[in-house]
Amino acid sequence: MPVGNEQGERMRKFKNRGKDVAAMRRQRVEVNIELRKAKKDEQILKRRSISITPLEENSACQEKKEIIQLSLEEIVEAVNGSNTELQLQATQATRRMLSRQRDPPLSQIIELGIIPRLVEFLTRADNAPLQFEAAWALTNIASGTSDHTRAVVEGGAIPAFVSLLSSPHMHISEQSVWALGNIAGDGPLYRDALINCNVIPPLLALVSPVTPVGFLRNITWTLSNLCRNKNPYPPLDAVKKMLPVLICLIQHEDKEIISDSCWALSYLTDGSNDRIQIVVDTGILPRLVELMADTELIVLTPALRAIGNVVTGTDDQTQAAIDAGVLAVLPCLLRHTKPTIQKEAAWALSNIAAGPCRQIQQLITCGLLPPLVELLEKGDFKAQKEAVWAVANFTTGGTVEQVVELVQSGVLKPLLNLLSAKDSKTILVILDTIANLFLAAEKLGETERLCLLVEELDGLEKIEALQTHDNNMVYRAALSIIEKYFAGEESTDLQPGSDQDGQLDFSVEKQDFNF
Amino acid sequence: VRIVTCTNILKLLLFLQRVLLLVASDVDALCACKILQALFQCDHVQYTLVPVSGWQELETAFLEHKDQFKYFVLINCGANVDLLEILQPEEDVLFFVCDSHRPINVVNVYNETQIKLLVKQDDDLDVPAYDDIFRDEEDEDDDSENESDGSEPSEKRRRFEEDVIERTMRRRQKREWEARRREILFDYEQYEYHGTSSAMVMFDLAWIMSKDLNDMLWWAIVGLTDQWVQDKITQMKYVTDIGILQRHVSRHNHRNEDEENSLSIDCMRIAFEYDLRLALYQHWSLYESLCNTSYTSACLKLWSVQGQKRLQEFLADMGLPLKQVKQKFNSMDISLKENLREMIEESANKFGMKDLRVQTFSIHFGFKNKFLASDIVYATTSLMENIEKEGPETDNFIKALDSLSRSNLDKLHQGLDLAKKQLRAIQQTVASCICTNLVISQGPFLYCSLMEGTPDVKLFSKPVSLCLLSKYLLKSFVCSTKNKRCKLLPLVMAAPMDVEQGTVIMVGIPPETESSDKKNFFGRAFEKAAESTNSRTLHNHFDMSIIELKTEDRSKFLDALISLLS
Repeated sequence: MPVGNEQGERMRKFKNRGKDVAAMRRQRVEVNIELRKAKKDEQILKRRSISITPLEENSACQEKKEIIQLSLEEIVEAVNGSNTELQLQATQATRRMLSRQRDPPLSQIIELGIIPRLVEFLTRADNAPLQFEAAWALTNIASGTSDHTRAVVEGGAIPAFVSLLSSPHMHISEQSVWALGNIAGDGPLYRDALINCNVIPPLLALVSPVTPVGFLRNITWTLSNLCRNKNPYPPLDAVKKMLPVLICLIQHEDKEIISDSCWALSYLTDGSNDRIQIVVDTGILPRLVELMADTELIVLTPALRAIGNVVTGTDDQTQAAIDAGVLAVLPCLLRHTKPTIQKEAAWALSNIAAGPCRQIQQLITCGLLPPLVELLEKGDFKAQKEAVWAVANFTTGGTVEQVVELVQSGVLKPLLNLLSAKDSKTILVILDTIANLFLAAEKLGETERLCLLVEELDGLEKIEALQTHDNNMVYRAALSIIEKYFAGEESTDLQPGSDQDGQLDFSVEKQDFNF
Repeated sequence: VRIVTCTNILKLLLFLQRVLLLVASDVDALCACKILQALFQCDHVQYTLVPVSGWQELETAFLEHKDQFKYFVLINCGANVDLLEILQPEEDVLFFVCDSHRPINVVNVYNETQIKLLVKQDDDLDVPAYDDIFRDEEDEDDDSENESDGSEPSEKRRRFEEDVIERTMRRRQKREWEARRREILFDYEQYEYHGTSSAMVMFDLAWIMSKDLNDMLWWAIVGLTDQWVQDKITQMKYVTDIGILQRHVSRHNHRNEDEENSLSIDCMRIAFEYDLRLALYQHWSLYESLCNTSYTSACLKLWSVQGQKRLQEFLADMGLPLKQVKQKFNSMDISLKENLREMIEESANKFGMKDLRVQTFSIHFGFKNKFLASDIVYATTSLMENIEKEGPETDNFIKALDSLSRSNLDKLHQGLDLAKKQLRAIQQTVASCICTNLVISQGPFLYCSLMEGTPDVKLFSKPVSLCLLSKYLLKSFVCSTKNKRCKLLPLVMAAPMDVEQGTVIMVGIPPETESSDKKNFFGRAFEKAAESTNSRTLHNHFDMSIIELKTEDRSKFLDALISLLS
């Protein structure tokens, strides 16, 4: 049966967190970023309707007269020479070029072939300025594309940076943290290369009550990169080493540190159930839920993401999130002004609704139905789609009584309205949901009432219209509902004593369940 | 600075499907509107005309029509505020702004996508350079942008040159830049003044496209004359523009001169004149005109007994019998009229009126009707601010607009009658203000307030009439006072506006000096004074130097204005 298949696919997508969810989510995030960028470019274009001679930054150059300008040839010569004074000048000149705002010459510097020398300078414990300049230059090269990062790694920078973490000079160890963060951020391969080089113990050792905030931010970000990426996930023992420190950092008062810690936890929970379990076991869920209520997006977004990941887990893991109070903060987030937040919150809710009926009951008790209906009515379309899933899951796993309550909360009208959506996937889910509602109505002998209700809300018209839909599955699902419940007067006349009528007699509680 | 390519804009305008015309209530705007209507008509452009007397009406009209229209033409309104800011239009809405109000708001100048300014190429706008007042957002949102919106942290990050030092330096530079920007904008926006008449700009566009007609030329002349009558432009600017129009006049009316005898009844001919600056004298009596023209009335000090005596002496000097002078000009002896202008000028020189003759233009409709450009201005203004009939404001506007067509001579004559009443009312009010010492020095400016119950006070609740009154009063006051310091002061004038709502209308005008640049600083000053006292004011007029305020707030508002300008 097509309906059954649909359902199975949906369940797989939600409870079992196939790759689809992750892929879908990532895709959504990327689209957002692109849109924002496009909008910003547009604004700039708009402002720049007048042609202006490009502003050259001559003034900036003139102001710093002490800066020595070196040609690329001079740099190569000095770096490869033996005069330490010239080495420092050349390295500094290189670093300056690499840290200017516009068009840093990453590839040109790599082509000079001086990376192995710069890596060698990292080991000059007697010459801290040289170490620092080289570390900064290499950091910036590693901040480029994968090719750029590879050039730094293949120059032997990983062990050199790892040992510099323990440098007695704080600015040098901080610069090394930054460089290692760039290397870890390149992907799982270099991330694991760093872990195998034993980067974690010296990195964690830098976290102390006296570490300056700026430094801690760098460390947290690098840690988050060490937790980041799948295929494969970071090694379990590495995760277990980092977690206690992350749990500690997430209690910090600095928003950026909290944010990056949350992101780290969101990466760690974006995996199989046993990965989620490790995070749940730390007892951090209440803190994450608390952060979901933060007013600042940089905090609330990753906290919501992490909790959203947790509720994709087992019923027990979902229960842990419920126990941590997630249902109390979700209403606010469903009504958040930012569409992406609405959407993520609805996604989390849909996964809770996919749970056993006792969790569905908690969802009702905590007052999630009104904001859900509101979202269906006037939320952002992507959020509406997630809300549709939440309703669908609810009708699949909820008891008849719970389904009645859902209908009584006014879900039917916005749900039927969404049948005019362009997206056939969403339409199918809604039709499934309607079929589920009729199943419940049948059990109560309230089919006719539901029919009437659907008709009153112009739902019948919409379902009938879908019989001409291009999508075959939509067409069949619509047809099936029409045939089953809206077959018309003649069929009713032909079957006067169907078991519908019979059940109606049995239904004692009919009055209580007023659809 | 960006220069608008006029031809392209006009071509674009004529190519548009449906256009909404928003036209301010001044004669120059009406004339520009007439020219544009004629252009639209011959190119079959559909348009809707909505008169707007102030910002509130402009906003309402825009809101009402923004769903049906994408193209808006604004005449003598809109240039001096940030239109996009106050109207919040959709991105595909286009504004064509033809407005003599200066300074033009800088955003309007630099937003080429939605705002098309119609400006004469040789108008000196003195707009600040783009880089001095706008800065790319890019420079500003250096570090926080990505993080604050909750997106995922970047995978890699580059460390920039001396983050901390650089950032503080950049911040300092930004602060300096902002201070400079404020200074530049202050200098730019401090004074309000007027650029080339909108009717002339519109005519220029028509001419560039070879679509100009003699009627359009006449409207351009009336538009310019309106600026002169309302004292909006300098004498120099007036003479220069007269010269420009004179070339067009001889081009258009050259042919007719040979065939003067064949002039038919519906024929029109425009001629350059070096005529008397006596208001409406050819449609009045010479005597009435002398009494009710600001220039002669002020120079002869007609509000005093000595002044009246001087007038008699002046008339005697010319050798004109009083009976002739007091009867309708049309009925005066032809022999007297022949050398009238020269005679009057000669005597006027003796009485210290050296500028009684001015360069202007006249129009002949057929044989009978001849008008000076200023006649039309006075008549149209009076129709526009007619207070005799209650009814929707737009009636007056449409009547005034119609009176500009040569087929509506009856409306024009009606306007002339109203204009005479208006000029008389102004002169009487000026005389009573001066005789009862209502003009008082407040230190930095002169102040005069009309009481409720003053005769004709209702007329002066209208902005153009009030402005004319203020200007005539200041001229007369300067002639009447012996206090040298007072002669150099600007004037603030207030009149009751709406008795039920308890509001007054207030206008500020620049000092009356010979070399006056006609620049007005009261717009800004009013704004500041209202802000600092929390006065309930309304800057509804397109001229920022006209303000409406609650009567109870007047004294604290004035106190603030005095201390602001001291």
